[in-house]
Parts: sequence; structure tokens; C-alpha cells
Amino acid sequence: QSSKMTEIDWPWQYSFPPFFTLQPHAETRAKQIAAWKSLVLDYFRTTKQAILDIREIHSTPLFNNVSIDRKLPSEVVSVIVEELAKSGNATPLDKAKLRWVVSWHTLDEW
Amino acid sequence: MRRKPGVGAIHKQKYEQERYRDKGTELQENQFEQMTKQLETFRINLEEFASKHKNEIKKNAQFRRQFTEMCASIGVDPLASGKGFWSVLGIGDFYYELAVQIVEVCLATNYKNGGLISLDELRDRLVRARGRRQEHQEITNEDLLASAKKLKILGNGFSVVPISKGKYLVQSIPGELSMDHTAVLQQTSNAGNAFISKSLLQKELKWEGERAQKALDHMVKEGLAWIDNQNEEEPLYWFPSLFTACIASKT
Repeated sequence: QSSKMTEIDWPWQYSFPPFFTLQPHAETRAKQIAAWKSLVLDYFRTTKQAILDIREIHSTPLFNNVSIDRKLPSEVVSVIVEELAKSGNATPLDKAKLRWVVSWHTLDEW
Repeated sequence: MRRKPGVGAIHKQKYEQERYRDKGTELQENQFEQMTKQLETFRINLEEFASKHKNEIKKNAQFRRQFTEMCASIGVDPLASGKGFWSVLGIGDFYYELAVQIVEVCLATNYKNGGLISLDELRDRLVRARGRRQEHQEITNEDLLASAKKLKILGNGFSVVPISKGKYLVQSIPGELSMDHTAVLQQTSNAGNAFISKSLLQKELKWEGERAQKALDHMVKEGLAWIDNQNEEEPLYWFPSLFTACIASKT
């Protein structure tokens, strides 16, 4: 009955415009990536999705906040999925690393 | 014709000087004794006052303010030491306790604001953490300022930055803010925004471009500001510490 948008408990960063620009300062960037990681996992869990396609990212509200007119550039999305892969939360499906399986549980946890 | 002073006269002068000096020390000692007596009376009065009003001081923010204002006007600092006799009033304890809580709130929010927090947000969080009792709710911004200023004694790391009329930011990181950096924060806050840009600084503060850019770069380097490259005209610099959704966020 409710749309996907309303189910998400968006963190404050989602309405913070610079959250959509990769930060040059190392410490701030680490905080930013950590926040993105947990937001991506939260979003995939809540919307019951598993496939992330880099070519289609801007059709989902996750990486495209129309209300503040900010999009996360695809190269930054790549950085985040790479980080998710490190913690076992993402696995690439193709060599070009355009399609990914995102799992909010790591393989170990299963 | 004037005669030179003789030996006798010189002796006499010396003798008188010594007598004056003796009289001087005598007078000083008298004064000292009197002062000691006065202080003793004062201490007794204060203890009496304390036993009557101690709770009032802990509970009543206005009373606290009046008392500290009175102290300031006679030039004593009731918070300078836990051993001072003002401490019978528990004023010291009250402010030291607040100071510890201020440090706790600053550390707990550091991960999102980079160590810069508005006094209002600090107060909200602190009051929430202290609990529901009336006296916990009545902590004023003035109490917090008095307390935060004491934290400076611990070395550079804590400072209170006035940003606009009655508005303050509490900084809890060692990096010192220069006049220029403070001006950037003031300008941002005065505009009622959480962001600023190079051209805004140039326009409002009549700064050279280079000076504005340097100040902005510093804010980013200290982790206080985030860059937003998706604004059409120029990059914007955002401060989480001034961003409403960040301030309101529980996490």
C-alpha cells in the first residue's frame, strides 16, 4: 500500500547535499563512505532487492535525491560497492563490474 | 645664607624615616589582621547563606546567574577552584559536572559534526541526557557558556566561538580557528544557511578570492565543512553543525 520511498528511514545525510560529492578530506570521506554503505544495505533490505546495476543507478531514489537535485556520480557508486565487497556484502556478476549482487547478510552470517 | 645640613640633622632624618617605616608596617599588619577577620566573618556568613540556599543554586538558573553576576562585579571567580570557599555553595561542583557532560556530548557528536556544535544543540542533547527532573531541564545557555569557558584551562581543544547575536558554537578539536575562519562561520550563520561559497564571502566580507578560498579549504581540512560540487555556479561548503537535519538527528 505504501511506496518504496516511504518505507525507508532516510538518514540525515541523505538530505545533506555534499553527501553526493566524494569528499576530498580523508576523515570526512571515511565517514561519508561508511554512511553510504549502511544506507545502501538498509535500502536493499527494505525494498527486498538484490541486484545493483551501475548503469541504472539514477533510476532509483537511493542514488538520486530529486528533492535536493543531487545524484551520486557512478564512479562514487563504484567506490561504495567495492567497499561493500570488502566486507562481503557485494559480489560482482560481470568482469566489467557493472552488475552486482548486494546481500545485507554476509556469506559468513548465512 | 643657607647652611648645609649637619651630621645631627642627617641622623635625625634617618631616625624619622625608620620610625615612619615602622609605623607603616604596623599599619599594614593592622590592616592585614582586619582583613583576616573580615574574611573569617565573610566565610561564616557565606556558610550560613549556603546552608539556606544551596539547593536554590542547584535548581534555579536565574538565582545562579544573579549570584555569578554579583561575583563578577566584585572581581571573584566562584569557579576558579574547588577549594575556594565559594565551593561550600556547590557552585563549583555544579559547573564541573556540567563541564564533564559537555565533553561527553561533544565527543558523542564529533563523528558527524567534526567537533563543532551549536550551543543550542549541545544544550538539547545535554538536557535530554540528564533526565526529566525539573532542575535538569533548567540548565541555561549561560550555565553552559560559563562551564565551557572553564574547559579552556585544559589546554587548547575547547573554545567558544560567538557566531551571531546570542548564538555560539562550541569547538572541541585542537585546531585553532583564526579570525578568518570564525568570520566564515559567522557569515554562514548570519545568512541563516548551513552553507557558504567563495563568492558569497567575497561579496559579504569584501575579501580577495584567494583569502576566501584559503579559509574554506581550511574548514574542509579540519573536517568541519563538506564540499558540494553539484551546485551550478560554484562549489558550496556545508557545515553539518549548522545543518538542521543533522542537528535534529538522534544518531
